[in-house]
Amino acid sequence: MTDAPAPSTPAVPPKGKSLLAQDDRTKRRNAAEKRFRAYGIAAISVGLLFLASLLWAIVQNGTPAFTQTFVNLEVALLEEKLDKNGNRDIDDIRKVSTFGYNPLINEALIVATADIETEVEDGDLKKILSASAAAIVRDFVIENPDRIGETVEFRLLTSSRVDGYLKGRVTREDLARDKNLDAAHLDLIDVMVAAGAVERVFNWDFILGADASESRPEQAGIGVSMLGSFFMMLVVLVLALPIGVAASIYLEEFAPQNKFTDLIEVNISNLAAVPSIVFGILGLAVFIQFAHLPQSAPLVGGLTLTLMTLPTIVISTRASLKAVPPSIRDAALGVGASKMQSVFHHVLPLAMPGILTGTIIGLAQALGETAPLLLIGMVGYIASNYPDGIASGFLDPNSAMPAQIYEWAKRADPAYYERAWGGIIVLLVFLLTMNIIAIILRRRFERRW
Amino acid sequence: MEDMIQVDRAMSTQQGTKISAKGVQVYYGDNHAIKDVNVEIDDKTVTAFIGPSGCGKSTFLRCLNRMNDTIDVARVAGDILIDGEDIYDPKVDPVQLRAKVGMVFQKPNPFPKSIYDNVAYGPKIHGLARNKAELDAIVESSLRKAALWNEAKDRLDAPGTGLSGGQQQRLCIARAIATAPEVLLMDEPCSALDPIATAQVEELIDELRQSFSVVIVTHSMQQAARVSQKTAFFHLGNLVEYDDTDKIFTNPQDSRTESYISGRIG
Repeated sequence: MTDAPAPSTPAVPPKGKSLLAQDDRTKRRNAAEKRFRAYGIAAISVGLLFLASLLWAIVQNGTPAFTQTFVNLEVALLEEKLDKNGNRDIDDIRKVSTFGYNPLINEALIVATADIETEVEDGDLKKILSASAAAIVRDFVIENPDRIGETVEFRLLTSSRVDGYLKGRVTREDLARDKNLDAAHLDLIDVMVAAGAVERVFNWDFILGADASESRPEQAGIGVSMLGSFFMMLVVLVLALPIGVAASIYLEEFAPQNKFTDLIEVNISNLAAVPSIVFGILGLAVFIQFAHLPQSAPLVGGLTLTLMTLPTIVISTRASLKAVPPSIRDAALGVGASKMQSVFHHVLPLAMPGILTGTIIGLAQALGETAPLLLIGMVGYIASNYPDGIASGFLDPNSAMPAQIYEWAKRADPAYYERAWGGIIVLLVFLLTMNIIAIILRRRFERRW
Repeated sequence: MEDMIQVDRAMSTQQGTKISAKGVQVYYGDNHAIKDVNVEIDDKTVTAFIGPSGCGKSTFLRCLNRMNDTIDVARVAGDILIDGEDIYDPKVDPVQLRAKVGMVFQKPNPFPKSIYDNVAYGPKIHGLARNKAELDAIVESSLRKAALWNEAKDRLDAPGTGLSGGQQQRLCIARAIATAPEVLLMDEPCSALDPIATAQVEELIDELRQSFSVVIVTHSMQQAARVSQKTAFFHLGNLVEYDDTDKIFTNPQDSRTESYISGRIG
């Protein structure tokens, strides 16, 4: 620098342009940047719009499923009909089928509507009630045989048409072609609502209850298939988490690098991209046809979903193991820890948040999966009975939440369509809960270094 | 002045070979990283490995506690004896070896745990303490030896990662000496530290010489001159020259050594 020529000219304005004015290049560059930001904001806005309309549609269509219309009806439990011998023998009482109860309920309806002027014939009054009404009364009588002879107030489900009318789904015009209900019934309902005999209340049976036959949508609930999903998730968690984590730890930390492990690696990545229905047919072939496990059982569903979830868990676990800085491994080995001690004492705790997040995301994916269940018979099965215990929870035929939703969506009655949307809300609440748990676990286990 | 200190240090060195390497070759796959290195490292001495980047000094250091075992493609040939025992003998468990030969790394790498747990980890896994009181004593003496006790004694439960860079490196030294090693390997322990922290660590290294044989890899020739009694100069995988530190820096025998220490290569 010392032999650089001394500046001969005093300070002159530089030849280049002023810093205060932008040249064309800079202008173009800034404009491009602005445009790009605008694209980004537009993309996010579109995404949010879709999300909002989706949520709106779900809430709009699904919330009516959580309420149900009931009739408060005083039914006279006549002794001569229910217990002819009068000795309250439970076996005699059981002999009376629901057909025997129908006249009692019809009579109760006639009494209840006696003061109301209606065109509905007495014999047709029953159509405002759900077909489940007689069964509910019968169950009550079998539970409490000593109440025979009294007049007891029941809260009975109305038919899905009446329910739909109060929810605005069914209009008088719709009933023109409907054999089940006339407009006259609706007039009657209007009066009964005003009198407080018919009311729409929150329906726990939708969340906790069992599926019902095609003609009784008012009775259907998602509870039993929720249990089916629960047992499947137990199987997935108990199998996929240990197998997946053990496989990833071995592959990532212990396995030698050779052609064979490369092959395994490629296959795991490919398996993660295999359509889920392929796992379904694999489950059918291996677990049902070969191993003779029961059809439609949550155990088989869980095993099939385990196969599907394993690659997800392995990939995310390996990624989080890789993200642990190698200096931690060196440090552990440097003080004389064995390979296993270094992995279990240091690497695994640091990778834990990632592993748990991956596992829960895998579980959430499995929870919402329908296609593989289709092939092992969990779709189409009417989940109408609660399992009687843990073993039967795993082995008895059941459905799962997404399968139940699919099942409802394809049934003809619009009341089932509403329940499908309601089921989606329940499913989304579950997924949301699982994601929140993932976030909480992540926060709790996260350690900085 | 500095020369006097060095002479003084050299005088106090107790002779006796701790590590002896004979014809060591290291291959990374096809790459011949260390070529026929023979070296005798004395006990209770600080030995510095200097040389330009990629000359193999760290590689050779990592051979001394078999850290190269963790690298799949690395292959070591030749003999390395510690106290006359071949550490590459199939009967040797690297875990036991590493308890005897501690290591401090280039970047401070405390475990993301408390200061106490960082130091206590080694003694715990090697079963050096029978109860909590003994463990406490080991932790305290290690932190004292690492000149960290006064700064850390009130915050033993605080995370080790919350310390400053220099403190973290001293914590790593405390962790390494807690397993009562006989040799302490240091791979550029000061390269991530500021000058003040470096001075503290260097002072510490000189004190550690009382109890251990210390081998330090360094980029800084000044550091080698300050802390070590013996210096080995590596170049392109060869051990070019190995002698007393003051001899290497004042009267190098090899022209490559002279070029390096005078700043013409490297």
